[in-house]
Amino acid sequence: MENTIKVERAILSLTQDDLAKKIGVSRQTINSIEANRYVPSTVLALKLSDVFDKPVNDFFKLSEDD
Amino acid sequence: MGKQNYIECERKGLERLINFRLPAYFNKVGLLIAGLSIAAMFYRAFALEGDTEWLKLVLQKTLLIGMLLMSVARDKDEDELVVKLRMQSYTYAFIAGVIYALVMPLVDYGVSNALKPEGEAFHDLGDFQVLLFILMVQLLCFNALKRMR
Repeated sequence: MENTIKVERAILSLTQDDLAKKIGVSRQTINSIEANRYVPSTVLALKLSDVFDKPVNDFFKLSEDD
Repeated sequence: MGKQNYIECERKGLERLINFRLPAYFNKVGLLIAGLSIAAMFYRAFALEGDTEWLKLVLQKTLLIGMLLMSVARDKDEDELVVKLRMQSYTYAFIAGVIYALVMPLVDYGVSNALKPEGEAFHDLGDFQVLLFILMVQLLCFNALKRMR
């Protein structure tokens, strides 16, 4: 799974900490998601979708090995 | 109760069971209990005289309780990644515990008999040793995984 959360976050001028507070997780979790070390749950993905005001498919993409 | 309500009730019960954690301050409570138990173990071993085997058994239990509290307590900033890491650490601890329980008696026996011609007889590990090892591995793995996240 690949994502463009870092880009979406930059567009909204949010820090990792800001985004983490908005969706109720720790900053380290946002860092792990951005680094593709962790694939979030559907609930978290939908919360991110709410913050970015975009469908989940716009910032999460399946990679070839998925 | 309708079928739908029954299913809903059962699902909620299961979720409560799955999401069971103690409040975060139990981390400190557990650490305090474990720390005091270890200190008391040293005190019993080097300063107390007489038959204090009962105290040793009590302190072993309190040490395990303290570590269990630390293991089950919520993290300061608990989220779904931390829950996943905790589950991962339990998996590692379980596997390591089983291997330890299988291998360690053989190592003990082998080393003991290699060093002395008439070494110790073969004996299995006690429950305290295995549980202590499992809890130690779980806590260490959990903290290591959290640092690496």
